[in-house]
Amino acid sequence: MTQVQVKMSNEMPQSAVEFLFPQGIAGFPDAMRYGFIYEGKGNMVCMQSIDCPEAAFILTPWDESRLGEVPRLNREQCNSLEVEGASEVMWMVVLNPFIDTEWVTANLKAPIALSESTHKGIQLIRPEPDHEIRYHWMPQPK
Amino acid sequence: MVLRRKVGEAIRIGDDIKITIQEVQNGRIVRFGIEAPAEVAVHRLEIYELIQAENRAASSADALAWLKGESDDTGAGEDE
Repeated sequence: MTQVQVKMSNEMPQSAVEFLFPQGIAGFPDAMRYGFIYEGKGNMVCMQSIDCPEAAFILTPWDESRLGEVPRLNREQCNSLEVEGASEVMWMVVLNPFIDTEWVTANLKAPIALSESTHKGIQLIRPEPDHEIRYHWMPQPK
Repeated sequence: MVLRRKVGEAIRIGDDIKITIQEVQNGRIVRFGIEAPAEVAVHRLEIYELIQAENRAASSADALAWLKGESDDTGAGEDE
């Protein structure tokens, strides 16, 4: 397994090994293996594809104080992560700093679930209309 | 390919995917069940395409540079 050199804060995924997304990421079907790179900027981390250079996302942990409870996984999704239950899962949201000059947005419609024990991940796609796809997460850094 | 199926009948795609027609409501809404391996993602098309487009808009080879504060690429309007 390819080792990815990373430096993490306590809030970030702690493994230095790659994470496998068995279902891929929507829009990047060939990018299934990702590493995490922490650059010491708050609680944001870069999830970089090992297979596809342009597949690189900025993630931040799910903030229950702002977003409410973390999403729930069904049995099939737990099977995909090879976990027994939700307690084994870390939730993150994908940030988009490239689409709005004023705001960094967060995609609440498709958060990322990671298992630190199995090193697997999925992007949970939530069809309900009440989840914003461009939630104003924070102002663009000056 | 177009197939006709009755309620209770199914189609199989490859060895692993089975789609069963469960119910037809008012002659216009079809409810079906899908059996597929865990690594096969199944989503409503319009939602999946929305997430595809947003993922492409959020992903960039410059993501790490942005995180380092080295990128000024906040290209608003590059929506797909």
